[in-house]
Amino acid sequence: MTDVPVSDVDLYCDGVLSDPYPTYRALRDAGPVVWLERLQMFVVARYKEVKEALATPSVFISGNGVMMNQAMNDTLKGIVLCSDGAEHSAMRRVIMKPVTPGALRAMQENIYSQAEWLVDRLVSKETFDAATDLAQYLPVTIVSNLVGLPEEGREKMLEWAAANFNCFGALNDRAVSSFDTLKEMVSYALTQCVRGKLKPGSWAEMLHDAADRGDIPQEKASLMALDYMGPSLDTTIFATSNAIWLFATNPDQWDLVRENPSLIPSAINEVLRLESPIQGFSRFAVKEHNFDDLTVPAASRVVVLYASGNRDERKWDAPERFDVRRPGVGEHLGFGHGEHACIGMNLARMEITSLLAALAKRVTRFRLGESKRTLNNTLRGFERLEVTVN
Amino acid sequence: MPNVTYIAPDGTLFDVELRIGQSLMEGATRNGIPGILAECGGACMCATCHIYVERGGDWLSPITEAENEMLNESAAERRVNSRLGCQIRMVEGLDGLVVRIADNH
Repeated sequence: MTDVPVSDVDLYCDGVLSDPYPTYRALRDAGPVVWLERLQMFVVARYKEVKEALATPSVFISGNGVMMNQAMNDTLKGIVLCSDGAEHSAMRRVIMKPVTPGALRAMQENIYSQAEWLVDRLVSKETFDAATDLAQYLPVTIVSNLVGLPEEGREKMLEWAAANFNCFGALNDRAVSSFDTLKEMVSYALTQCVRGKLKPGSWAEMLHDAADRGDIPQEKASLMALDYMGPSLDTTIFATSNAIWLFATNPDQWDLVRENPSLIPSAINEVLRLESPIQGFSRFAVKEHNFDDLTVPAASRVVVLYASGNRDERKWDAPERFDVRRPGVGEHLGFGHGEHACIGMNLARMEITSLLAALAKRVTRFRLGESKRTLNNTLRGFERLEVTVN
Repeated sequence: MPNVTYIAPDGTLFDVELRIGQSLMEGATRNGIPGILAECGGACMCATCHIYVERGGDWLSPITEAENEMLNESAAERRVNSRLGCQIRMVEGLDGLVVRIADNH
């Protein structure tokens, strides 16, 4: 048996978070699976192995948590993201009801008209912050309302989501200092996401209806609100800011989209491939598993780097090039893959599509002003992205 | 390798050979056949690889509950021969399969 290569890289330090791609490439080149000395976990960074881990839930389970530290895996035990098998399927079916393609068709007109209104207003200002003014509007005004938390909770959703994803990484200062905020979010879900406090007809209330029908256990109804609160805002917001940054730095690709807006769905996939908002989660191996001739023993944790698989030279031609017409781009792993593929992907696509379609009608060029990347243990995007449009 | 004929929404015929194990959705997107949007990349979540099986479907795998639910969500009309291309994997017995691509837009 061959020895698994070892790396002492800190995936969650400022330097790597600012520009993770050289590190990802080194991990891919080191082997199909690598041992991370600092984390005491394995990592898969190549496309084939990332997909294989995600497509083999009989070995790589989610029920022991999908984060990179035990404290967080204990705290979020039992949510949809961290469950397996029949229990997971039942919860997933319930939680995805409001965001299936059919359910979303009823929301489409509202989302598109709000996107038109917003973009109209921003374009008339000429200079705006794409990371906040543009990217936050639809998630914050429409999605957070649909989730249906009481007002004080709704106001905190952005802060909670950022803390949530910081706690997914190694237990560095960024994670440790976010932990109290994260605990506040969990305790809010358990005490406030209950009957009588939630907006009638909202997604969070619908979880209680599902529990009453017996579709999910009663004790899950409040907890599962976390599956809406955590991932429904920041991920889409960062994908939007990443899209604008890529179009600003690749004006020829924006020209293609302006001339042919039917490229927008493929362009969004290409954005998610090249700058994946969620860089990676982990899985727990309950059985021994071989990646080529390298063995991951049972009872190991494996970090699964979606964003690295999405730039794997073994899979993609010129992986660092932004190409809105890239063949086969739908095979990217930005939404994950397999049983746990992002439940909100159709909603996220609709929000981003509506904004890009409205921009394509009005904007010929984005000129970048001041910008600042967010440093988050899981997410990649911008805190500030000033653009001037004409 | 089994041969599949896709009928595009505009009536154009595409004859292609698919690898065993490849999905009908992948077969279409890899060969540049129009009409299969496959937005979710094969996760059975977007219903934009909706096809109608016209001929040769004796060896089709049965519809799972997830596929059944997603077919009900499709923008295109559901018919008795509706399937999602991402859920059909090629086997030798499907050689000669003919599918019509639904209006997935």
